[in-house]
Amino acid sequence: MTASTNMQRRRKCLVAITAALLASAATGAHAFTLEGPPKVAFIYASSAQDGGWNEALEAGRKAVEEQLQVPVAVTENIPEEATKLRAAIDLYVKRGFNIIVGTTYGYSAPMAEAAKAYPNVAFLSASGTENGPNMESFYARTYQGWYLAGVAAGQATKTKKIGILAGFPVGVVNWDINSFALGARSVDPTIETVAVFTNSWWDPVKEGQVAQAILDQKADVLATNLSATSALDAAEKAGVPAIGFQLDMSHAAPKTIQTSVVFRWEQYLVPTIKEIIDGNWKPEEFGAFEGLDKGVVDLAPLGPSVTEETKAKIETARQAIIAGTLDPFQGPLKKQDGTVVVEAGGKLDDAALWSMDYFVEGITGTMPAKQ
Amino acid sequence: MDFLIGWIAIIPNYATPLVLASLGLIICERAGILNLGAEGLMAVGAMSAAIAVLSGGNPWAALVAGAASAMALAFLFGMATVVLRADQTLSGLAVVAIGLGVTGVVGRSYVQKTFVGIPNLGDIFALERDTAVARIVAVQDPITLALPVMVGLLWWWLMRSRSGLRLRAVGENPAAADVAGVDVQIVQLGAVLASGLLCGLAGAYLSVATSHVWVEGMVASRGWVAVALVIFARWNPARALVGALVFGSADALVPRLQAVGADIPVYLMMTLPYLLTLLVLVIGSISGRRSGEPAFLGRIYLRQDKH
Repeated sequence: MTASTNMQRRRKCLVAITAALLASAATGAHAFTLEGPPKVAFIYASSAQDGGWNEALEAGRKAVEEQLQVPVAVTENIPEEATKLRAAIDLYVKRGFNIIVGTTYGYSAPMAEAAKAYPNVAFLSASGTENGPNMESFYARTYQGWYLAGVAAGQATKTKKIGILAGFPVGVVNWDINSFALGARSVDPTIETVAVFTNSWWDPVKEGQVAQAILDQKADVLATNLSATSALDAAEKAGVPAIGFQLDMSHAAPKTIQTSVVFRWEQYLVPTIKEIIDGNWKPEEFGAFEGLDKGVVDLAPLGPSVTEETKAKIETARQAIIAGTLDPFQGPLKKQDGTVVVEAGGKLDDAALWSMDYFVEGITGTMPAKQ
Repeated sequence: MDFLIGWIAIIPNYATPLVLASLGLIICERAGILNLGAEGLMAVGAMSAAIAVLSGGNPWAALVAGAASAMALAFLFGMATVVLRADQTLSGLAVVAIGLGVTGVVGRSYVQKTFVGIPNLGDIFALERDTAVARIVAVQDPITLALPVMVGLLWWWLMRSRSGLRLRAVGENPAAADVAGVDVQIVQLGAVLASGLLCGLAGAYLSVATSHVWVEGMVASRGWVAVALVIFARWNPARALVGALVFGSADALVPRLQAVGADIPVYLMMTLPYLLTLLVLVIGSISGRRSGEPAFLGRIYLRQDKH
């Protein structure tokens, strides 16, 4: 019943971006200019205050409103259907709104249609796949944050077994899991990562139950790649170090929280919308895809049980990723079954990242529906 | 061995909300009222109970709050179907829509707030978790413990008691029951309210006993599983318990096999409960035996139709 709204949780088949990479023509070299005073509108597929994905974007929206002093309107519960979204966009454009921010993967295609119809309106599409002269999709290199979380987990584990639960096996989820495992193995290459998919984006009951399944495997660090806090609640009860996602989840595990991998969309939205207003915005040809360097992905403040040594190791890794001397997916990189993905010295390009459909070496878990 | 203990220990957690909801549906449908609204009733129960705890209430009182508010929604459903004699399928679907919609609006500021819920037996009695049995018992909660007794009592009441017979008579042949002096509408309204109570309790169990948090849509189709479970159980409370354990153990097994990296067809296994339900339906219709479905289920009884 709720599957379609849940699907909007960013990730679905972002693999489709590879198609976009091939299909999209070069965008115009001219900077985009607005007509009339800037007015921004955010459109959400469900409640903006959902405690997860939408709420992270909502924080970005508030920052835009405060820092740029522009009018920002919000509409919620617009389903991921072309006609319904288009009606909302049409209405906004009629009312003089000229910067439209869509917040879900499912808006991508209808937004691209609208972008063609309204060439003087700027469109920003979160976790979208379409780009054009007046449209830019944006997502974050979440795997960079998850690598740091993996370092924290690797430092915290005593059983040398850590666990992570996630939604569906799509590229943007798989890279988080893999990077988490690789971060932990950078501390100790014998660390095993137990990974389980709940096959749902939004089911706190199941997440708690799956967390228990992972804890029963003697994992002594538990991370969640989902929006609900029930896995962290289970970790806190078991006295196991916990790692959250999307927003700072420390309230669910005040004693055992290590950190949360968080989105800071304001780091993308504020400068981009400022560029649009100032008339020097040029949409990225393949979408904006920022990471730790721009601060779009970050770690929430580290928990009380995180040691100084761990803090230093996380900081070293962070600086190395920002400087480009460390890439979580640099070679040698092997799959779960031992086949080599990248030789020593190489690294994965973005297309290979988006289409990641395997676990790396050191992960115990079943990858459903192997193609 | 550890794998087995962990798996067995968690199964009741999966099964309990399904049993509670399907017991409610069985009572309702045995009285002839088709109830497809479980998803909405559970949503209201889950949210109201969470709000009760977050507002400083005792988790046990929260269960009552969850059950009571779902009963209020069930009362609307009862008014529509029993008193105003509206179509039961459509009214049931309306209950789902209302339940999901209302919780989305009312619960807005209670999303994702972790709270302390129902303690498990290990916490209440400070159990040592040294033996396999102790490890399994320690993670159960009092509601789960009470469940077999509830099922037994309900089965006895429905199948053996005089008032249970009256309720079943209303669902089989309301005209005959009417002639025999049973107040059909009162019985049906009572049955609808009972379904609200039990579905609300099932929803409250999800938020207060299992996940200790509320988010919109957290019932996540469990209400529909309960609807299927009623058919699977052929409207028998004891079989509903067995069915819920079967569904629950299949559901609990999938992530546990994933966690040990077993090479299993995940998606296929997740459809298992539904395949089983289909199988029961097919066998029921082929064998020609009575499926257990109340003869007047989903139909509207008007007194002047008496014949």
